[in-house]
Amino acid sequence: MTAVLVIAARDDWPTDRVVKALTDGGAEVFRMDTAEFPQDLTLAGRIDARRGWSGGLASPLRAVDLASVTAVYYRAPNAFAFPPTMSEPERRFAAAQARSGLGGIITALDCRWVSHPAAMSRAEYKPLQLATARACGLTIPATLITNSPDAVRAFAGEMRGAIICKPVASPVLIEDDQLKTVYTRRIQAADMGDLRGIDTTAHLFQAWVDKAHEVRLTVVGDRLLAAEVHAGSDTAHTDWRADYASLTYQVTEVPKDVAQGVRRYMDSLELRFAAMDFIVGPDGPWTFLEANPCGQWDWIEHATGLPITQAIADELRGVSS
Amino acid sequence: MTVADVREAFPLAPENGRIPHSTEPPTGAETRPWILRFARVPDSSQATVLPPAVYDEQLQMSVGLYDGPLPYMQTHTPTIPDGNVKNPPPLDEGAKD
Repeated sequence: MTAVLVIAARDDWPTDRVVKALTDGGAEVFRMDTAEFPQDLTLAGRIDARRGWSGGLASPLRAVDLASVTAVYYRAPNAFAFPPTMSEPERRFAAAQARSGLGGIITALDCRWVSHPAAMSRAEYKPLQLATARACGLTIPATLITNSPDAVRAFAGEMRGAIICKPVASPVLIEDDQLKTVYTRRIQAADMGDLRGIDTTAHLFQAWVDKAHEVRLTVVGDRLLAAEVHAGSDTAHTDWRADYASLTYQVTEVPKDVAQGVRRYMDSLELRFAAMDFIVGPDGPWTFLEANPCGQWDWIEHATGLPITQAIADELRGVSS
Repeated sequence: MTVADVREAFPLAPENGRIPHSTEPPTGAETRPWILRFARVPDSSQATVLPPAVYDEQLQMSVGLYDGPLPYMQTHTPTIPDGNVKNPPPLDEGAKD
């Protein structure tokens, strides 16, 4: 009996859809969150001259033989959880052992991945995304990453002032007991008057790209599932994440040259899933913005009917589309 | 000595949550990252209220506390933070240490 290993937080409901699609398709599923290890998940992995990693992963209700795992779905699991009676040094030691032991065995499994976590980690870096997209023939906006106010002024001068700024990494923080987020900012002349704080860390500036609309392209294996995102407000026109209520969606096709570039991108970064964002200009050209290896997809499936869940399940089962 | 960070090869959410809580206020213009001038509390009116649910070990998915469709059938929430610091949204970026 073969099995699909699903590694995700228990409250990740989009993963519920994948589990349902897999089981409906006849697959044996073993779902776990790394937070279950070591208290509710038992590992007994073995390797020797005769065979690769085998042995069991077991929860109170079910077990799976590592040698039977044919695919792994990896989606933002939680940290290991240890008994509160452990001291801090013991807990840190145990966490490192767990990561290298459990994580080491799982990542060594020679099977289908959506996607391999090492590939996902690497692909999260926006500078690598832009460099890879460019190398794969996709159009990208001129971009500056800097902690130098002078470099910002020079870039804005070159771009004739039409630039945006957005976070290079996570846009969300909690400070002052408030959850805050940073959306894409179209830079105004007044913003450039005071650049104090640029030197505190890396900042990303990009040329503003005129847009007719944007596209969220969800890539699953070889399947390209594209939806136009139409902004219904000025706020959403700058960053559609800032005003979901104003958005409308429409399924679309990917131009052949863009599709070729996207497939090269996925191969280059060894990804089997990505949520890509493109700007489509008034005259039709597609400009790559970023590709999230662990992006949200549930809402776009709901809004458009694009069969993303089924595509993920098919990819995990090795079923051709 | 090793220089490799093994966390990158098997990324998990940080132990203290995906977005660590803090009551520290913003600092001044000289020390605060410039882009944070544009940080704002999201429009919580666009957030979806999630139905109460528990994880079913047998089904390996969440089920509702009351009769009705499974929770995943009731929600299709994009990343809209509701402002609740005890229930931060999933990150588009996925798990990061």
